Amino acid sequence: MAVETVINDKVLATAERLIVEMRSGNEDQAAQALDELVRAREVSLFQELGKLTREFHDALASFRVDSRVSDLAEKDIPDARERLNHVITMTQNAADRTMSAVEHSLPLVEDIANVAVELRAQWKRFQKREMNAQEFRELAKSIDVFLGTTETKSADLKAKLNDVLMAQDFQDLTGQIIKRVITLVADVEANLVNLIKLSSQKVMPVNNHHDAIKAEGPMVPGVKTVGAVSGQDAVDDLLSSLGF
Amino acid sequence: MKILIVDDFSTMRRIIKNLLRDLGFNNTAEADDGKTALPMLKTGDFQFLVTDWNMPGMQGIDLLKAVRAEENIKTLPVLMVTAEQKREQIVAAAEAGVNGYIVKPFTAATLKEKIDKIFQRIEGGA
Repeated sequence: MAVETVINDKVLATAERLIVEMRSGNEDQAAQALDELVRAREVSLFQELGKLTREFHDALASFRVDSRVSDLAEKDIPDARERLNHVITMTQNAADRTMSAVEHSLPLVEDIANVAVELRAQWKRFQKREMNAQEFRELAKSIDVFLGTTETKSADLKAKLNDVLMAQDFQDLTGQIIKRVITLVADVEANLVNLIKLSSQKVMPVNNHHDAIKAEGPMVPGVKTVGAVSGQDAVDDLLSSLGF
Repeated sequence: MKILIVDDFSTMRRIIKNLLRDLGFNNTAEADDGKTALPMLKTGDFQFLVTDWNMPGMQGIDLLKAVRAEENIKTLPVLMVTAEQKREQIVAAAEAGVNGYIVKPFTAATLKEKIDKIFQRIEGGA
């Protein structure tokens, strides 16, 4: 501040001298004063440039310290790619599982319906007393077979319907993964904003504190989660080792 | 027996609800995170809790701790059904007093097995 005031005073004095010399018609002295003014301008320009360079250097240095940026580029983005690929696999599997169950179930229902239509027609004949004893014996046998297969097919159908139900668990698991990727995108956005502010502001290093029991969402093949066990059996083993 | 199912994803709540019904538990209610679940549990209406871990608001592990800290519901059986499967997390849940731990994706058979086990222990311990 003090240096700038001295420089400004000096520039002001030179400018006043320039006016005086020009009015007096002293061309040589006026030209000399003008030269001094230009030189003073150059000095302050260099000073500003120096200041900017220093700030830029500081900002770059602090940005390098912010390991979050390199973490994002080296680890989190490839991670997110794996996670999203896993989402595709899970939704694909769920769709396949559901469609297989439906494709398996439809013929079961059709069979039951077809035989029911046939038996009902015969039953109508029996009610109208249009059936002889031999035909009735055959009808009774058909009904017995029908009841048996209906029982088996209903159980099969129920299992398939349960399968369709269970296949929907992908929605929860993929939802958790996608929520994590959304958080990552927000993180990338924030870091990009920091990058833009780089020339004017110092970027604070991110606190990389890691909470061991913080929720991390579903396991993703190809993405390593430190300290994770694999599957229900491993969970059961761990719990039983804890006296469960 | 009335069971409270806590998960932020309604699909998973419906799956668990249907599986429980298949196992003969028809009386269930749902909550979408710990914050909503805790006041429901405090009424003392529920005899069993099935909870997810990773939820906005109050997480499952904090709900478990809150239940254990509440005098009138501290013995409520709690089954955790979650995608979280780090050693530290499972140990933390065990230390907080979880009664069973199932990792997603799971099967109907696993759910039945864990619930049976919890009731066997309760009856054995009583």
